[in-house]
Amino acid sequence: MKRSFPLLLVLVFGILGIIPFIVPHPYVQNTDEFLRNNLLKILAAFALVLGLGSLLRVHYDKIRRKGQNWEYSWVLIGTFIVTSIIGLFGGVSGTGILPTRIGSFVFDIWTIYFNIEVPLGAAMFALLSFFMASAAYRAFRARSTEATLLLVSAFIVMLGVLPLGNEISPHLPSFAQWIMDVPNVAGQRGILFGVALGMLATALKIILGIERSWLGGGGE
Amino acid sequence: MKIIDLLTKIDRRIIYLILFTVVTLPIIFPSVKSVRVMPPVEKLYNAIDNIPEDRALIIDFDYDPQTLPEIEPMAFAILRHAFRKRIKVLALSLYVQPLGLAQNALVSVSEEFNSLATTHEDSIIYGRDYVFLGWQPPPLIPILGMGESIVNVYRTDYYGNRTDTLPLMKQVKNYDHVGLLVSLSSGDPPKWWIEYAQNRFGLQVGAGITAVSASEFYPYLQTGQFSGLMVGMKGAAEYEEQVERELAIKVRRKASESLSSLTYAHVVIIIFILIGNAGYLISRRKAKSSPTSPTGRPR
Repeated sequence: MKRSFPLLLVLVFGILGIIPFIVPHPYVQNTDEFLRNNLLKILAAFALVLGLGSLLRVHYDKIRRKGQNWEYSWVLIGTFIVTSIIGLFGGVSGTGILPTRIGSFVFDIWTIYFNIEVPLGAAMFALLSFFMASAAYRAFRARSTEATLLLVSAFIVMLGVLPLGNEISPHLPSFAQWIMDVPNVAGQRGILFGVALGMLATALKIILGIERSWLGGGGE
Repeated sequence: MKIIDLLTKIDRRIIYLILFTVVTLPIIFPSVKSVRVMPPVEKLYNAIDNIPEDRALIIDFDYDPQTLPEIEPMAFAILRHAFRKRIKVLALSLYVQPLGLAQNALVSVSEEFNSLATTHEDSIIYGRDYVFLGWQPPPLIPILGMGESIVNVYRTDYYGNRTDTLPLMKQVKNYDHVGLLVSLSSGDPPKWWIEYAQNRFGLQVGAGITAVSASEFYPYLQTGQFSGLMVGMKGAAEYEEQVERELAIKVRRKASESLSSLTYAHVVIIIFILIGNAGYLISRRKAKSSPTSPTGRPR
């Protein structure tokens, strides 16, 4: 029962998810609308709570076990609690019951978001460019014909998408666009077909209960 | 041997320093150069320009702080285009993180227009000219649900107003009243709009994406599933160019200003790759020409 009930649920709701795309009957469409606009919203709310609970539990366990970099888990839990309290009681822009201003010091969610999360997120991504430059210098080598072709096309696309490319030759941006439009699309389309067929097969296997690894339990 | 070492073993700190210099200097001393508008951006511009008067534009803000410098200029440029052409705008996010960025873009651009407006009719009014629907999880709900009824999916807007009381929402009921949706995203959402909203309801979709994810979106542009495509900072700069040229909107062009940094950074990377390869080819040639040991290996 513990395993067969989830399998039955997936079978029923998997089929219910497919039918509205092929049966336009109002009864089917209304059922689909009800499932999406009501049931799915409730499930999403549970998933949010479950996700947050799981995040806290993972970090709590890490602190208890003194796992690698466990000190940072305190930072996560601390900021989680602080921002949750400010968000829940102070409102997004400081309109809640909790005061979010001491003199000229403002600490509502809006301010925290723009002054902490935005710069930190942008800085994280900006650092990537430095690692990328260093990695490209060390690893991007013309070791074979294929690697040389890749290198040359990368140079053309890099220069072609920049204003400099147009200054070198007006044909360079067009050639870079051609590389993206033709050889790139050919390769990508092949990958897309493969991925689509794989997804279809996996979805069918899950709906029909052939693939059960999502149930957990170490493949029992 | 020393030359090979010099070419192949440049200290990473030197690379970082040079890159830092070429990226920051153009930001400190910004300059804007004219860019050539490529067909994918031109198509998107025309698709927005040709939205009929009785239809709205939906902008899906799905970028986060990490990709803000690349995609936010796209959002500003599209909003300026839409507001100047008096195209009605619905804004939304499929994730919670971009909400603040979306609101910032909407408020900034509407204030920009309102500061120049002389009458109520000239102004960009919330509820009449644009609505910020906010966030409704999970993403599948709004994508499919809005095909039937937008106010049923978003019963309240981002600010807590009942959507059925807003004048714009009385005109725009579902995708039948939407001319185009533009997904500004650093991930998969543009594909979801095609897979669910376009396939099922025939919604026209355009996209603004990061340069790193560009290659996987081109097949959709070639098939016509995307009405147009903006790729990375260059795409944003092209749209800014088009908006300035066609609509005579003279404002600060953030993406165009950043192109100098982007250009110099790319040139530096290309030069370092060439240096690395020169060192590699010299060392390979030396290894080939050096006498081999009895085991067949170079001494």
